[in-house]
Amino acid sequence: MPDPSFVFAQSVSGLTAAMFLFLIAAGLSLIFGVLRVLNFAHGTFYMLGAYATYQLVQWLGVSGGRFWLTAVGGALAIAALGGLVERFLFRRLYGKDELYQLLFTYALALILSDAAKMIWGTQQKSVSRPPELTGAFHIFGAIIPHYNLFIILLGPAIALGFWLVLQRTRVGRYIRAGALDRETLGALGVNVDALYTGVFVLASFLGGLGGALISPMRATTPGMDTEVIVEAFVVVVIGGLGSFWGTFLGALIYGQVLSFGILFFPRFSIFAVFALMAAVLIVRPWGLLGRPLR
Amino acid sequence: MHRRTLLIVLLVAAFLVPPTADAQKPIKVGMPMPLSGPPALFGEPATKGAMMFIEEINAKGGVLGRKFELITRDSKADANEAVRQARELILKDNVDFLVGTLTSAEGPAVSVVAKENKIVFIAPIPKTDQLTAPDKLHPYVFRVASTTTIEGRSAAEIVAKWPVKRVATMSFDYAYGQDVTKAFVEHLKKIKPGVEIVDQQWPKLGEQDYNPFINAQMAKKPEAVFSSIWGGFFVTYSKQAKAVGMFDALKYHFIGVGEAATPETAKSMGADYPVGIWGNSYDAFYWGETAAHKDYVARLSKYLKDEYPSSWAIQGYIGMQFLAEAIKKANSTESDKVAKALLGLTVETPVGPLTIREKDHQANRGQLYGKTVMDPKYPFAIMKPVQYVDPTKFMD
Repeated sequence: MPDPSFVFAQSVSGLTAAMFLFLIAAGLSLIFGVLRVLNFAHGTFYMLGAYATYQLVQWLGVSGGRFWLTAVGGALAIAALGGLVERFLFRRLYGKDELYQLLFTYALALILSDAAKMIWGTQQKSVSRPPELTGAFHIFGAIIPHYNLFIILLGPAIALGFWLVLQRTRVGRYIRAGALDRETLGALGVNVDALYTGVFVLASFLGGLGGALISPMRATTPGMDTEVIVEAFVVVVIGGLGSFWGTFLGALIYGQVLSFGILFFPRFSIFAVFALMAAVLIVRPWGLLGRPLR
Repeated sequence: MHRRTLLIVLLVAAFLVPPTADAQKPIKVGMPMPLSGPPALFGEPATKGAMMFIEEINAKGGVLGRKFELITRDSKADANEAVRQARELILKDNVDFLVGTLTSAEGPAVSVVAKENKIVFIAPIPKTDQLTAPDKLHPYVFRVASTTTIEGRSAAEIVAKWPVKRVATMSFDYAYGQDVTKAFVEHLKKIKPGVEIVDQQWPKLGEQDYNPFINAQMAKKPEAVFSSIWGGFFVTYSKQAKAVGMFDALKYHFIGVGEAATPETAKSMGADYPVGIWGNSYDAFYWGETAAHKDYVARLSKYLKDEYPSSWAIQGYIGMQFLAEAIKKANSTESDKVAKALLGLTVETPVGPLTIREKDHQANRGQLYGKTVMDPKYPFAIMKPVQYVDPTKFMD
């Protein structure tokens, strides 16, 4: 029987990882749910969010609460980029063959990541943790960094806020309606083009925020985009593509399976995650909380 | 019709022109190296080091009156891609030699191509012992990089001096991580029999979340940790380890091989670097042991326009240096003759004299080791005192 403090620490690290994955996978799932495009470039937005934050930190520093400014600033920059991409490029993809969508978003990912390499080079970049959150709690013999706790609280807060917007506001109703039937919504006088741009901007913001907030915990390097997109895909496949709470659940499961997997399969914990995904695909191909597509 | 006639005339003329003397043709060197993705961190500066060497030697007239021409290709850190690029460099670009590859997957794969085509191949970075193992060795493969045996044993010598008994390891689960960890554990057990290996973690190559591994490892209460998490991955690993107090719990009995103490890594982390740990590096601009090294650093700094130039450039530089010296010694650019010239060849490199052994075509390339401290002269941690560990006694 493993030490309880270790089990606790392990579940906390699983939760932290899960909340990051949720931030990123939520945007991926949102774009698919409403726009019906699988955006392979979403991971690149996450990477650019980290780079943008790094750049802002170079100019402003992280002390005196300025980290939060840089993180939100970085995410906003990516949201703006997302708006431009949707308005001028993505818009042409709607309703096209899935192969074209995939090719386009993949090409976009390659172009953007090469552009990042031209700007920031190949050397790893690092951002410090904000000074107000560098400490750690000692709980049940485990050390839980304040920053991780913040992430664990932020994840559900964003999920809840998001859900409230989707369920309780007019815009939320439009978004849900847009996911079901774009044409009818347009016929009812809703500006669907603007709605789609808004959804894409929001999803890009979430991806960028994920990158911005993860930058104090990881190195920012070229290639981090393709790593995360695979993980985010696994999360949405487990949870159900386009399902909001499914993404949340998928992220939670992913984090815990990875954390505790190494106890049972020390060298194959990543295998446990993919095995789970395969099992879900066999039993419920539409994901745990997803709905079967027609 | 008119245009076609002209074309034919030109073609005939091209064949009629006598072949230019060898002296005017450049010596072509093909360099497959990862230039994209995370491994470009090392691939790019290593390529720049080779370019600097070539610019310098060409300015002095080249070797045997011929200039060098470097053709670089992005191997994407992938064995299949590296093989494809190497083949193309040989068949299409007609390169005379290959200098390149970075990962322990690419090196042995390209070695096979070199063997098939009977072309000299110098590997400046891959460390896996398998590259020059007796069953893989052939007349055309040479290595100026360190090896997993050298690196693992050098680290074990340092850890053996610490007042610790319970040691744990953290390495990526692939050729390099496994080989260097094995060499470390075996040598440590040999020179300090009382040591117990209490835990070994094997995250996948490129892992981004080390917390589960760190928690599991610290639950076994090690007194020291050996890590071979390299490059940018070390930044991620050490940030996460520092946040949960791992380095404090170990009282800084931590050694990071895989170049965890390069100036580049320390610089990118600034004050976040776990200052006090031990690490290694191929080079360090602040080493300045000899006049030759100081001079090299000054030239590199100018070439890269970087106040703190990369520690990886040296590997591309040394690889080219060996090739140029061997061509001079052989007085030929034929691979068979150059390969023979490389055996036992000693070259005065910026890090001191290095020799390629006849036995296994391996240079006695050691690395710099040291405990990291903050130095008021630099805005990041440096190894101090920094020591070049001569690997000769660790080579079987």
